[in-house]
Amino acid sequence: MTSPLGAHPSATPRAANGPLLEVRDLKVRFPVYGGILRRKVAEVNAVDGVSFALTRGETLGLVGESGCGKSTTGKAVIGLYKATGVDAHMEGQVLLGDGGKEAADLMSLSKDEMRPYRRQVQMIFQDPYSSLNPRLTVGQIVEEPLANFMDFSRKNRQDRVKELLARVGLDAEQSTRYPHEFSGGQRQRIGIARALATNPQVIIADEPVSALDVSVRSQVINLMQDLQEEFGISYLFIAHDLSVVEHISTRVAVMYLGNIVEIGSADAIARRPLHPYTKALMSAAPLPDPERKRPDRIILKGDIPTPMAKPSGCGFRTRCPIAQPSCSEDVPTLVEKDGRLVACPWV
Amino acid sequence: MEFTMKQPAGSVSIFRKRLRKFRSMKRGYYSFLALAVTYLGSFLLPFLMNSKGLVVRYDGEYYFPISRFYEGRFFGQNGNFGEANYRLLAARLAAENKGDWVLLPLVPYNTTESADDIEENRIRAAYKKGDFSWDSGAKPAEDPAYAGDEDLYQGDDEVGIMGDEAAGLIQAPPYPPSAHHWLGTDNRGRDLLVRLAYGYNVSMTFALLLLATTYAVGIAVGGIIGFYGGKIDLLGQRVIEIWQTIPFLYTVMILSAALSDQMPYRPDLASILQPRFILLIVVMAVFGWMGITYYVRGEFLREKARDYVSAAVACGTRDRTIIFKHILPNALTPIVTFTPFVLVSDIGALVALDYLGFGLSAPTPSWGELMHQALPEHIHDWWLVTAPIAALFVTLLLVVFVGEAVREAFDPKVHSRLR
Repeated sequence: MTSPLGAHPSATPRAANGPLLEVRDLKVRFPVYGGILRRKVAEVNAVDGVSFALTRGETLGLVGESGCGKSTTGKAVIGLYKATGVDAHMEGQVLLGDGGKEAADLMSLSKDEMRPYRRQVQMIFQDPYSSLNPRLTVGQIVEEPLANFMDFSRKNRQDRVKELLARVGLDAEQSTRYPHEFSGGQRQRIGIARALATNPQVIIADEPVSALDVSVRSQVINLMQDLQEEFGISYLFIAHDLSVVEHISTRVAVMYLGNIVEIGSADAIARRPLHPYTKALMSAAPLPDPERKRPDRIILKGDIPTPMAKPSGCGFRTRCPIAQPSCSEDVPTLVEKDGRLVACPWV
Repeated sequence: MEFTMKQPAGSVSIFRKRLRKFRSMKRGYYSFLALAVTYLGSFLLPFLMNSKGLVVRYDGEYYFPISRFYEGRFFGQNGNFGEANYRLLAARLAAENKGDWVLLPLVPYNTTESADDIEENRIRAAYKKGDFSWDSGAKPAEDPAYAGDEDLYQGDDEVGIMGDEAAGLIQAPPYPPSAHHWLGTDNRGRDLLVRLAYGYNVSMTFALLLLATTYAVGIAVGGIIGFYGGKIDLLGQRVIEIWQTIPFLYTVMILSAALSDQMPYRPDLASILQPRFILLIVVMAVFGWMGITYYVRGEFLREKARDYVSAAVACGTRDRTIIFKHILPNALTPIVTFTPFVLVSDIGALVALDYLGFGLSAPTPSWGELMHQALPEHIHDWWLVTAPIAALFVTLLLVVFVGEAVREAFDPKVHSRLR
């Protein structure tokens, strides 16, 4: 159906069966103010030119350590910063298309113009405690997107809420309860039901299981996979847990300091990481199978640089075991190598 | 055999839990009940304290003067071209003993009349002796105080009092507590209890309306600058800071003095519908809405960063719904906690303005005006000094008790926001 690479980000004309969601050269910068006059003194380059594409029914895992910009990418794609008045400078394109139809650039839309597209892109949040309004009942929470988008009668909406709750494995009779009466895993299911309500094509899952008990994680992951099969949803699955990402993803993108350093099929990246950062990341992942031989642990030297002052050229060069003098000159571009794209000319 | 967990009885929202907690705090809860019952009851004051009879049976017919004006002549008080004196009518009908009667309110005085008790007592005494001459416009014939003094008395209260004063028989008001005036009268001979009771209604209504107005503006402004942030926040804060530097009391006094000529007291309107009353609320709201905005803004800044707001945005919910349905209910803690204390300061502000003479227009019953009467001139008339101060003290104390209980019940640490 698709190449293991997805659509190449630089491919401008969109084929009829092209990607559902395409992000082109996304940049998100947060200004830092200082001094008496509150002038802009610096910028945090949270996301520094990220491109990827998501096809129908696939899961793209976005991994990287804390602060690498993966959550920022997700929130920028869904347009949360603009809508909540966060002071951020954004560039690039987020194209949401449905095959034959012409894609809409969500980045260029105003808050109000964006609203109708929200139906197609939904989000599951990391913290199941703060993502549900404690003042609303579960029924009201799941009903909200229906009331916003679907032309249902009140009765139909309530039926649909019960259906959704049952679908995510909750007791439909619990719709009059408040979120604090549920466990973390149940709350995450409520969040999933809310995201499902409008029949979206894309769901951005921002670390959906990292706040959950290990015993509950697999249940939620399995639920997400079942729903994907049933409704053909595409996931942008943001996580730092490599084993979870490997398990659920079709493709994986590895981020470091606001850039994607390697993107390709989950299998290829897990078995044979190419980029030195991916190698280090993979070597740090705990292996659940004691029989499998653990590769030698690669310990990176130093700390991750601050995104306010990124190193010139390749962002990873200050910690890279194979860095060359020329790495400080140009920002490496993603080039195809061994069935995936890698942003390093030396591998 | 399977063990079944007993389900908790019904789902309870955080607000309900806090209400439960509030109800469990006896002092605050009963203070709240006392205030609520007395305040709502104060709207029934016309049936409890009024110079009009509630029901009159006259010549076998029933009349309801509470809703209609009857001249004194209508009930046979021939000298009286004004409204009938129902106290005297009641006394006369009782003395005549023909089966007619008047049902008087508990306290048969209103807020504005300066009743001449001595004269009324004389007339009552005359009725008991079967002398109904006052009703024909003459004075009671056998009254020794008027013997040989026919010229002075023309059925006019003023002249009567002046005559008595000249004779050294009575002193000028305020009169001390008596069987007719349980708390005495003020310096114009108006019943103190009646004025205090109506003043309670006026004060509380004023404070509640002012609270509602300032909160509506303050919460809306605070919510908008907190939710949108950025330039709107910066600009909004500076505007509020500039607005706050305008000296509130002086402005109100200047406006009040300047506009008082255009807004005379209108006897046809109730106290809480007087133009001055509404003007005062508007002026004080315009200069007093800023207090709550900072708290609301802070709550909004914190709450909007939470994921449930992002989720609502992602669900396509409109800003107005997010502000009022999602964030505001989670930002209520400072709003609810401050309410009783804002009420205290609003009541206090009205008393202060009335005391200084820049408040409500003249005959409106007002605690501040009573204190103004008492403190400089009538400091030795203990009933006039103590009654309004005691009324204010008790009211404010009860409100503060409520406030303490509310603060305890809404302690965010007890039922934390997100659990």
